[in-house]
Amino acid sequence: MQDKDTNISQNTDSYLKYVNDWEQKIGSFLEFDIERTKGFSKLEGPLAGIPFGVKDNFAVEGFDITCGSKILKGVAAPYTATSVAKLQDAGAVVVGKTNLDAFGMGSSTDNSAFKVTNNPWDTERVAGGSSGGSAAAVAAGLVPFALGSDTGGSVRQPASFCGVYGFKPTYGVVSRYGLTAYASSLDVVGVIAGTVEMTRTVFDIMKGQDIKDNTSVKHPGSRNNGDVKKIAVLKVEDGSLSKDVEDSYSKSIKRLEKLGFEINYIDLPSFEYVVPVYYTIATAEASANLARYNGLRYGYRSKNGNNPGEIMQSSRDEGFGDEVKLRILLGTYVLRSGFQDQFYHKAQKIRTAMRNEFDKIFELVDLIMMPVFPTAAFKHGSTDLDPFQQKVADLYTCAANLTGLPAFAVPSSIENGLPVGVQFTAPAFEEDRLFNIAEVLEAEFPSQSVEGVKNWSKV
Amino acid sequence: MKDTVKKSKYQTFIGLEVHIHLITESKVFCGCKNVFGSEPNTNVCPVCMGYPGVLPSLNEEAVRKAYQVAMALNCHLNEKAVFERKNYFYPDMPKNYQISQFEFPFGIDGSFDLELMDGSTRKIRIHDVHLEEDAGKMIHEGSRSKLDYNRAGTPLLEIVTEPDLASGEEAEAFVQQFRQMVRYLGVTDGNMEEGSLRCDANVSINEHGKGLGTKTECKNLNSSRFVKKALEYEIKRHTKVLSSGDEIIQETRLWDEGSSRTSSMRTKESSNDYRYFPEPDLPPYWPEEKFLDEIKNSLVELPGAKKERIINQYGINQQLVVFLTSEKAMAEFFEEVVKLGKGDKGITTTVASWLGGNVQKILNDNGLEIESSPLSPKRLLSILNMIETDKISSGIGKKVLGLVFEKNSDPEEIVKELGLDEGPNDDEIVKIVSDIVDTNPKVADAVRAGEDKQIGFLMGQVMKATSGKANPGKTQKLIREKILKQG
Repeated sequence: MQDKDTNISQNTDSYLKYVNDWEQKIGSFLEFDIERTKGFSKLEGPLAGIPFGVKDNFAVEGFDITCGSKILKGVAAPYTATSVAKLQDAGAVVVGKTNLDAFGMGSSTDNSAFKVTNNPWDTERVAGGSSGGSAAAVAAGLVPFALGSDTGGSVRQPASFCGVYGFKPTYGVVSRYGLTAYASSLDVVGVIAGTVEMTRTVFDIMKGQDIKDNTSVKHPGSRNNGDVKKIAVLKVEDGSLSKDVEDSYSKSIKRLEKLGFEINYIDLPSFEYVVPVYYTIATAEASANLARYNGLRYGYRSKNGNNPGEIMQSSRDEGFGDEVKLRILLGTYVLRSGFQDQFYHKAQKIRTAMRNEFDKIFELVDLIMMPVFPTAAFKHGSTDLDPFQQKVADLYTCAANLTGLPAFAVPSSIENGLPVGVQFTAPAFEEDRLFNIAEVLEAEFPSQSVEGVKNWSKV
Repeated sequence: MKDTVKKSKYQTFIGLEVHIHLITESKVFCGCKNVFGSEPNTNVCPVCMGYPGVLPSLNEEAVRKAYQVAMALNCHLNEKAVFERKNYFYPDMPKNYQISQFEFPFGIDGSFDLELMDGSTRKIRIHDVHLEEDAGKMIHEGSRSKLDYNRAGTPLLEIVTEPDLASGEEAEAFVQQFRQMVRYLGVTDGNMEEGSLRCDANVSINEHGKGLGTKTECKNLNSSRFVKKALEYEIKRHTKVLSSGDEIIQETRLWDEGSSRTSSMRTKESSNDYRYFPEPDLPPYWPEEKFLDEIKNSLVELPGAKKERIINQYGINQQLVVFLTSEKAMAEFFEEVVKLGKGDKGITTTVASWLGGNVQKILNDNGLEIESSPLSPKRLLSILNMIETDKISSGIGKKVLGLVFEKNSDPEEIVKELGLDEGPNDDEIVKIVSDIVDTNPKVADAVRAGEDKQIGFLMGQVMKATSGKANPGKTQKLIREKILKQG
């Protein structure tokens, strides 16, 4: 834990200058104001005075909630998300809202309507997405942790791209109330942090049942004290990872062997279906979740239209970006009457089969290790990966969302000047196993910082 | 042999979708108040306004009431109930999807015993009972449209019947009897003008034995009478179309009360594909046995059962029973008076006819409901007791009843205060009778000649002169004595 005397009320000027200097380079925040919501945070608590960033698809009273989309530009959040409020009760202070792919749809943060977020390790490259702003802010030392949302890897992939920790809890363990829904049955509140301890602390504060979220559950605790002995390692076919990621993955395997873990190599046959199943379910739910944005009650209202119906139509046409429209269309398509059995229902069946496949493996092992993403941070635009390739690359992260299982992306190595992470997945409610393995690995290889980054508490 | 009654060539099939607005403290998925008639957009919050990030939280009170209705309709209760999203865009619907139930509603395969005009009953099958949220309201004012979201998210229960109703008249009766039942249950006020009970009707006709025909749906039926009128209009229209060899187009039609006709609103081709899918924000609802038992045990006696019991228990005639059981409160009032009066057979009929006559008239005149009126069972009984013991006449009793409503005080006090029980003394009455007989010699002659009915006229005159305070029996006796004496 940070020293008691290091909080944002001290050294404010140097902190602001530090943030400002980095922001010129990386553009991680959409709004930044260390004073704005101070009044909502308790003065005491385990996180007293500790600043954090919140992805701009969470409601935080005092700040806007744009979701990175023109359609919500200037919309003030009228309430605060349960997860954020719990952290404020523990003393932490929201200092700003971080950039994202609009509504969490994307792997680059390039789908934000407002600004470009760059990777602190190489500003030519993306910070990943959709929680790119949160990952970049933590990696640059602007905040010790930030909240993200993870629907198909949106916390783990940017954390991996930026060389920090990206944690996705078991579905339902952290209240989603106040997190703008992209795909309700896949969305979880995730944590991006510089250390395992900070990740664990933030998770412990946020977890718990919430009467405002009927899908939330009480955490039953680990069944085996979070002990980890046997780890299944996903076999990866030749050519499916970039050279850098392949090298990094090998290093992680060797590290586990060196540390004495029992390793079994496994195949996951259902992985063949992960991406189509994910995009079927995610877009179906998104098509309904995003129907509410119509310019009538709040947000962008088009001037084109003579009646409420027309205004609704043109506001959505002008307010949403291309990626969001693509996913709404796809989701509407798979839900059409007469086509549900072919797409949506079939996807749900495969989803259940996947969960069963994971559960079977977890009868034999404590954790599964797999890559986070087939490449390290790619360049802005479509030069490295076009939007379709980016979707196909969600393979390794989507599985945890479809199965609802907890997963943790941790730093693995630096390859050719870019950080690469590796991912662990645990049985439901076995977050402790993830923190325990991550701590063991952190002792071997902690989160690295790019030149110019200071620990926020030493600014 | 000649067929005297020409049977219609066609058979009619009517199914109803009845929406009732449930009475609950708060809305079905948020904590906002569930009330009618507030200032626009005052009972709203981020949840029912569909702000980013909000989630629905299921109101157990609405669930309880949904089960009450499902049980009263003899439904099979699904082991698990599932909420689904019904997707369509409409400006007054904040999320542009409605949380409803589709594949697994709370109740399915129920029945309702419909009382027909001839006194027999027929089972109308109930397809399902499902809970959903209401939308807001859009009001058009000239070129402007105004949106009020107070109603958005209030709990609606939809009851869908199978096409078992055979005429507009039967559909009207169903709506009336169903309304009576849900009012008994106390789950809705059933006010059709305020939209607490809304109804859509599906109708098709076909040649006998050929099953369902192509249906049309009628909307905008804001009273049970409109249900009947709209359906009768549609049945005639269908008959005309089919008789001329044309086909019915499956469509939704709007009833216009002004012109007393339906007109096409949208055809099937242009209808919505609602793209139902399970609501991911609400887990399936698995009712516990204990919870359902508790609801079952607390179910009130329903109108049919109450009617039968009151007939058997008190020997009240059919017509009065229909009135007494029309509202639960009236039936309860009746039974309370009888109970207070120790329930002898004589008084039960008097109580029933007073409620059906004098009391109902005053209630209607004042626009009051029995349960919220100044009349209590004790007060009514005390009026009836004073009449029974000849302390006052029944005419004065009626006057006292009026004064109870006016002054909201006890009948004994009113009688005492106004001296209503202090009728004229015997000497005074003798004098009045004597005067009246003297001034009406022709009538007296007629009575003497055996036209006994004419005595009523004289009685009326005496009552008028004494403001109804004279004892009728005694007066009649005195009149006869006087006339005979003169003869």
